[in-house]
Amino acid sequence: MIGGILLRAVAALVMAFLVLPLVVIVGSSLTASKFLSFPPQGLTLAWYATVLDDPSYVAAFTTSTVLASAATVVAILLAVPAALAIARFEFAGKRGLATLLTSPLVLPHVVLGAALLQYSAAIGFMRTFWALLVGHVVIVTPFVLRSVLALLTPEQRVQEEASSDLGARPLSTFFHVTLPQIRSGVVSGAIFAFISSWINVELSIFNTTAGLNTIPVKLFNYVQYTIDPSIAAISAVTILVAAVAIVVLDLTIGLDILRRRR
Amino acid sequence: MNAGRLPLALLLAAPVAFFVAFFVAPMGVVVLASLTDAKAPGLSLAQYAKVLLDQYHWDVLLVTFRIAGLTTLLCILLGYPLAWYLVRTVGPAALRRLCVILLILPLFTSNIVRSFGWMVLLGRNGLVNDALVAAGLLERPMRFLGTELAILIGLVYILLPLVVIALGNALAEIDENLEHASADLGGGPLATFVHVTFPLCLPGLVAGAIMVFTLAVSAYVTPALLSGGRITVFPMLIFQQYSSVFDFNYGGALSITLLVLTLALVGIGGRFGERRGT
Repeated sequence: MIGGILLRAVAALVMAFLVLPLVVIVGSSLTASKFLSFPPQGLTLAWYATVLDDPSYVAAFTTSTVLASAATVVAILLAVPAALAIARFEFAGKRGLATLLTSPLVLPHVVLGAALLQYSAAIGFMRTFWALLVGHVVIVTPFVLRSVLALLTPEQRVQEEASSDLGARPLSTFFHVTLPQIRSGVVSGAIFAFISSWINVELSIFNTTAGLNTIPVKLFNYVQYTIDPSIAAISAVTILVAAVAIVVLDLTIGLDILRRRR
Repeated sequence: MNAGRLPLALLLAAPVAFFVAFFVAPMGVVVLASLTDAKAPGLSLAQYAKVLLDQYHWDVLLVTFRIAGLTTLLCILLGYPLAWYLVRTVGPAALRRLCVILLILPLFTSNIVRSFGWMVLLGRNGLVNDALVAAGLLERPMRFLGTELAILIGLVYILLPLVVIALGNALAEIDENLEHASADLGGGPLATFVHVTFPLCLPGLVAGAIMVFTLAVSAYVTPALLSGGRITVFPMLIFQQYSSVFDFNYGGALSITLLVLTLALVGIGGRFGERRGT
């Protein structure tokens, strides 16, 4: 059937469109030439060595990783209790609270970044790690909240009540009954949270400095002036981190998400 | 309150305190700054007058919203066939899983890295120009970087996976029996699509479109890199005020203007989707 062939062709082209830039980046990071070229001219890992020899890149990688890890941990500590409150209690302003905690998903990051710059300047922690951290926590908390809420079902209440009837204290009910059922939601939410923080430019850019920089912001500032294969090498490393995160995600929740459900 | 469960106040104290301190308060500071003037005491709308009465801002807004609108349209036109293919026609589940992984990989990569990929591809000696010249479609390489087309390509690239996932989820939820029923009642494939399948996935389509539109309007990195300084979109104006001009009052008014316009358009779109989708 012509329609079927056409559909396959369009789908293949769109997939190629999605993969092409990443292939170009990884490919051109391997070039032996002094300038960026794709297809690469000769193969070498020299550009990766150049990056690893530059302490400012290593520092930026460290900042990004510590920032994303810390933001994820804080987001879990905030989002899991909030999700429990929303799923297990009836209280005034519940909808408003859910909206407040998920609204950073639609808020322009540039606006939030600007707001946090002005706010942290007023309070006196402008351009510090803490200014970056609180902003990142705000934008990544919704990911954990959403994925945990999706796994909290009313049926679990019966088990929680049984646990408390048997004399378990609230915290031990949480750790032995509730947590095992929402664990995959915590993990997938945490991965989305980590990655969103790790790749963020628009929020971080306001509160970073030459001495306190994340990888994406450093790349952004560099790319505007020069382009050379070392940029492609750093970019390729971030693609690798993304790939690892996806493998972990696939192993925890399974990524065959678009199969027919009915 | 139920015995055996953690008390509500204990659960909510930390998240509410954190969001009030580091989300509500900073946004409040911006709103307040936008309503004050460095020279005059008290509240004033002078900053908003400065934003709204300047034709330049409307020109920039028009460019911003035009690019965002076209991005949304292209994402749907390209995303729909791919979502359909992945949910309905793809053969082995392993292939679908691979495609989903390749769909998420760019999503997990920074905007800056993805835009950089297009800077390389769209350059004067990039793959796109090489291919077009080799195919005889262009006589000599053309300048893509610094055009609205380049920004459009970059934004479509960045946002397309979101649309495919939103549409794919909607398509995956559709009950096949409804389509069989339509066919049994004499509806042809086209009639079934127009009257059954498409309306059923419209909520997913609207949700995806709203997400893409908001993200396209507020995008800063991609336009900044692919515009080559030749085209200005609204988020760049905000960035300028906060990073080099340091006029927080004026910058605040620009931020709130962008926020309100975006939310208004999202609200209108959401209402339209609700009405049509039910």
